[in-house]
Formats: sequence, structure tokens, C-alpha cells
Amino acid sequence: MKLSDIMGAANLSVYAEVAMILFIAAFLVIVIAIFAPGRQKTYDAASRMPLDDEHPQTPR
Amino acid sequence: MNARLDSFSYDDDIVRKFLWATMIWGLVGFLVGLIIAIQLPVPGLNIAPLLTFGRLRPLHTNAVIFAFAGNAWFTGAYYSSQRLLKTRMWSDGLSKFHFWGWQAIIVAAALTLPLGITQSKEYAELEWPIDIAIAVVWVAFAINYFVTLTRRRERHIYVAIWFYIASIITVAILHIFNNLSVPAGAFKSYSIYAGVQDAFMQWWYGHNAVAFFLTTPFLGLMYYFMPKAADRPVFSYKLSILHFWTLVFLYIWAGPHHLHYTALPDWASTLGMLFSVMLWMPSWGGMVNGLLTLRGAWHKVADDPILKFFVVAVTAYGMSTFEGPMLSIKSVNALAHYTDWIIAHVHTGALGWNGFLTFGMVYWLAPRLFQTEMHSKGLVNLHFWLASFGILLYVVAIYSAGATQGLMWRAFDETGRLQYPDFVETVIRLMPMYWVRVAGGLLYISGMVVGIYNVYKTWAARPAAYEVLVVKAAPLSEAPADRHAPAVGGLWTRFASAQWHRKWEGMPLFFSVMTAVAVIVASLFEIIPTFLIKSNVPTIASVKPYAPLELAGRDIYQREGCFNCHSQMVRPLTYETERYGDYSKPGESVYDHPFLWGSRRIGPDLAREGGKYPDLWHVRHMYNPREVTQKSIMPAYPQLQINIIDFAVIQKHVDAMAMIGVPYGDAVNRAPEMAKAQAAQVAASIEAAGGPKGLGDKEIVALTAYLQRLGRDIKNASGTAQHSTPTIKPIAFNASGGSR
Repeated sequence: MKLSDIMGAANLSVYAEVAMILFIAAFLVIVIAIFAPGRQKTYDAASRMPLDDEHPQTPR
Repeated sequence: MNARLDSFSYDDDIVRKFLWATMIWGLVGFLVGLIIAIQLPVPGLNIAPLLTFGRLRPLHTNAVIFAFAGNAWFTGAYYSSQRLLKTRMWSDGLSKFHFWGWQAIIVAAALTLPLGITQSKEYAELEWPIDIAIAVVWVAFAINYFVTLTRRRERHIYVAIWFYIASIITVAILHIFNNLSVPAGAFKSYSIYAGVQDAFMQWWYGHNAVAFFLTTPFLGLMYYFMPKAADRPVFSYKLSILHFWTLVFLYIWAGPHHLHYTALPDWASTLGMLFSVMLWMPSWGGMVNGLLTLRGAWHKVADDPILKFFVVAVTAYGMSTFEGPMLSIKSVNALAHYTDWIIAHVHTGALGWNGFLTFGMVYWLAPRLFQTEMHSKGLVNLHFWLASFGILLYVVAIYSAGATQGLMWRAFDETGRLQYPDFVETVIRLMPMYWVRVAGGLLYISGMVVGIYNVYKTWAARPAAYEVLVVKAAPLSEAPADRHAPAVGGLWTRFASAQWHRKWEGMPLFFSVMTAVAVIVASLFEIIPTFLIKSNVPTIASVKPYAPLELAGRDIYQREGCFNCHSQMVRPLTYETERYGDYSKPGESVYDHPFLWGSRRIGPDLAREGGKYPDLWHVRHMYNPREVTQKSIMPAYPQLQINIIDFAVIQKHVDAMAMIGVPYGDAVNRAPEMAKAQAAQVAASIEAAGGPKGLGDKEIVALTAYLQRLGRDIKNASGTAQHSTPTIKPIAFNASGGSR
């Protein structure tokens, strides 16, 4: 019996939908995290990073 | 406040090295492109065996992608990463190893590809010893990079570096899995995948090479060098993070859009199409983010050629990432696939996005790296205009060539017959456009020459010794301060304050692992079904492995790069089946290690070539194509009538194929004898038809045997072999009984 026989019989097609839902969920979490209020200060500091070669913008 | 301050400096020597490599290899890659562009309208410029279109085209693509764009990415990455992380690269030795190793690989590619040493998978042509070298150099680069990350003096990792990290990881995964093959000698290997699976793997690789070698690293460069050149932060940092995650989540799925209407299962191609269309939005988000970085600085663009380069680069990114999703829609793809339209699309991306971003970056870096004024701002402007008009001429001509040929292929006349049944008609119609492309290429290359001269003069005016900036910064404390802050508020407040996300960013390794997981999981969900669910590739009983001589012929077909101009995949569309014959089935290519479906038809499809013409036709055609098809633009291969078949090596090749599961039966013991017997038979048929004598051990016989085999098995199965001409006897290969 080959691996492909086992996989073919296992009827795995439902996992495609499961994967899609997982991906969308992970993606939504990231979107919410990005746009959640209260991060603007960090983002402002981060976006200045390329402009200063000598002084860390987010030290500690 | 931390009392201790570290003193350190950035390694700019490595940046200078990569900068020169970028410019020099760029010129080489563009020149090879110009040569093959001229070879199309002037086939006489194909100098067999080393300098034919089929061997030079992979050299052009590899040089531009891996030598020009690769070195450009490394230039920018070494410059920006050190400054964004406020640390020197961990090991100067590893940086140097990366540099010299990469250049050695490029030289190896430039030597082996004209010699016909190729795996014949697009952008993965390099043979297995070079593949191993690439893996070693890449690992050295990755180790150096990741250790540097842990030694940074900046808590947050800037988004450009996220793009670099994702690229480093994904390129490693793509490279390893697409290149898995069984060696059959020092310079020959067979892909462990066959047919549909190999095609799927290859375009998973091919598409993501575009995504993670030409797009994400350059977005990293954009997010660093655009703010630098405009002297203001990126328009929206939030948008850049969203841009990053959407690309990581979506790009990896899009590969199958390269295989619409082929023998790939329909579900996979639909999946590829949907994800490609979804990619449009984040890509345009990124483009808008780049352009809006110039808000309030647009007056500078008129004056500063560096910003001009960046604006055109980002605009070209926007155009390509609109066009890509559009081309991935099946009905549009049916017209554009196999035509020059795809070539035009690629060049909008490569010349516009990668080229212009690189040039902008080089001109921004040169005075800073060589610590002097730019030699001439006028010449930078000249480069900009030469290259801009070059791109314009190139893409307008080649878009129209693509649309013209695509429409000609599908045109029926009023009696319901193909309007242009003669393939060569649809090729010669393109010649004026091909000359315009040559003009455009010449302009773009002149711009490059001006650029190299300008950078050289700037370098020549450098100070006797470079000044080294000494930076003082405190090391990062063991744990970020807010990690110890007591958690206040409810679940939502804590989630929204996103301490978890900040911790995440603080852990580059964890972040890298998460990126890798997103890429790998997506790949597995897409790839496993094709590989393991049998119904996706129904087998066909009459399809048998290639006879040893035919396999040798197939090796020659690969060596000469025939797949660069000829597809072997008839799509299930009326105008294709009308022109070529029955459409290609997934089960037909189960022994094709590697698959040779092709991606461009400069010549006709060959999937149904077997039996179409007598053996002698092939002999005369290879000797001089214009002898049988007056206006053909195919290179001549007269040496195939001189070169002796290496019968001794056939056994090794058959054995390698048998090792990856091709049922070769008796041939694993007596491949050379079987090949000789079949060669004698083909040579006799050629001689009997009035062709040259004594071809029994010449390469042309092996290639003819292979071409005559194409599509025969399926005809035998359906009992519709009546099309075969009387002079050809089907050469049946019997796995247990040998050849006859």
C-alpha cells in the first residue's frame, strides 16, 4: 500500500476549508492588533528609525 | 538610563563591494538580454552550440534576477540593516563569504548555462553542485543575519527588516524543495518530481521567486530608502505592517496561475487565481504608502533625480501588481499565456520596479559610500530619461506583440477554420515589434553605461582613506521595560495595548518562525493534495517510459533549451486542439522528470509532434530550419549531425530515472544496447528516405526519436493513430521486452 492510497482514502478535503478559516482568523487577529488604539506612539517612533543612523529610536 | 554605552561602526566596505557587483552584473545581464532580443529577428546570430537563444535566455534571466537584483538587495540590506539595528554585522568574515560565494555562483552559472548544463526548470536551471553551493552561501548569509538581529541596540525591528527576514527564509525553502533531484553524473540530474507535480512545484517556486526575491526584498529597500531620500518617515507605518502580513499570507498560494488550462487540476488553478486577485489590494496599499511618503515633498521630485527613479519604480510596482492579478484571471490568461504579453509584464516589473529602485538606491548611496559629491547630477538625469524611454519602447512593443500573436492564434475564418494555420505566420508578424524592443533595450543599456561611468567617476574622487563613523549606543537590556509592567484592565485593554505583539517583535527568532510557519503551512495545504490524492492525476495505461534512446534525445532537448521556445502542453481550447491535436492529459507526463511544458511559444507546441513529420524532416529541420520552413526564426543545429551520442552515459541516466520510480524494467541492464538498436533503426529510416547516411550514432537520431515519441502513447490508447505518416513506424518501447 502506497502513501497515496492512504491519503486518498483518508478524505482530507475538509482540511482545505479548515486551513482557510485558520488563515483568515490569524489574519484578522493581525489586522485588529495593527489598528487597535494605543499603538500610535510606538509606530511614530518606529517610522523615524530610518532617518537616524546614530540614535536608537526604541531603546531599552 | 543605561550608563554603559557601546562604541561601534558600520561595515560599509561590504556595501561598496555589493554595489559594484550590482552595476557590473546588471550590465552583463542586460547585454545578454539585448543579444537574445536581436537573435529573434536575426536567427543567423545564433552561434551553435554555445551561443544559441535556448542556452542564453536562461543566462539572461538568471543574471538579471540573481546577479543584478540579488546583489542590489544585498547592497541595500547590508547598508540599511546595520543602521536600523544600530549594530555592525555580526561577522565581517561571513559577510565576505556571502559576497565572494555569491559572485562565484554567478560565474559558475555564466559558464555552465552556455555549456547546456541545465535542470531546465525556469529560474532554477543551475545544476545540483551549484544548487548545493547556493544553499551553503545562503545559510552563511542567514546565520550572519540572524545573529546580527540578536545583537541589535534597537528594541523594535523596523518593517524593512521584516521583509528581509521573510525573504531569506522563504527563498531557502523554495530553493531546497524545488531543486530536489537525483544526480546522474557531475553535471546532470533528474527532478524527483514528474509531470503535474513537477510543474506545480516549479511554479510554486517560480512565482514565489518573483515574490520573495524580486518583490519583498525590494519593498524592504523601498521602506528604507524612500524615507531616506525624501527625508521624512513613511506615510503610514500601520499600512506597511499590514502590507507585510498580507503579502506573506497571500503570495505563497498564487503560483498555479502560471498553469491555467494545463493538465494541472482545476481546483489548484482556481485557488491560484483567487489568491492572485486578492494580492492586488495589499500591493496597491504598499504602492500608495510609498508614493504618499513624498507628501509635501513633491516639489523635490522635479529637482532630485533619485526621487524620480523612486517614483517611477513604485509606479511600475503598481502597474505590475495590477496587471499580475488581471493576467491570473483564467479568461485573460487564455489569451496572454505563451505570448510576449507575459514577457512585457515581467519587464515592467524588472526594468521598472527592480531596476529603477536599484538605480535610485545606488545614486543615493554612491556619494555617501565614497564620501564625496556625486560626479554629475546631469548624468543621473540622463540615465533616468534614457532608461524611462527604453522601458516605454520595450513594453509598448512587446505588449502589442503579445496581444497580436494571442489574437492570431485564436482567429477562425468564416468557414470555421484557423485563420492562421501556419504558426510561422504568427511569428513573422512580430518582427517590427521585436526591432522596437531592441531599440528600447539599447536605450536602457546606454543608461546603465552612463550610470556605471558616473559611479566610477564618483569612486575615483573618493578620499584617500574613508572616514568611519563611530556610533555610541546603549545595549538592549535583557527584557523590555514594559514586559514587567503589571497587566491592567480587562482582556480587551490588554489585547489592544498589544504588549504581546511588542514582545513578539522583540523576539526575532520567534517572529521568523511565525513567518516560516505561514509560508510552510500554506505551501503544504496547496501541495500535499496534488501529490498524494490520486484522483488529481489519473493514470493512463498506454503511457510508457521513454526508451533509452528517446531519453538521450530528451537530454539533448533540455541541453539545447528547446523548452524556452516550445511548449509541450495543448490546452483544452478549440483553437489549440484545432491547431495541435488532442489536449494534454495529466497522466501523459507521469514519467517527465522534469516536466517540459514550457511557458512561451516562440515556436509551435510539440506535445503532439510525434508522427507529424517523417524522420528526415526533423533531420533537415535541425540542420537548417529555413530549409523546411522558409521564414522560421529557429537557430540551426548542424552539429547534431556530427556529435556522437554518448551511449556509455545512457545507462547512468536510465538508472537514475529508475531510482525515482520510473518502471524501466529490462532497460536498467541493457540501456546502451537498446539505444543502439533503436538508433540504427531510425538511421535506416532516414537513409531509406534519401537522407544523409551513417547517422546511426549521431545526436540527431536520438533527438528525432524523442520528438517522434511525443504524444504517441495517447494516440495508441485511443486508437486514433491513423494520422501518422506511412514512413514512420511507431517505435514502441516495451518495458519487459526491450526495443525492437
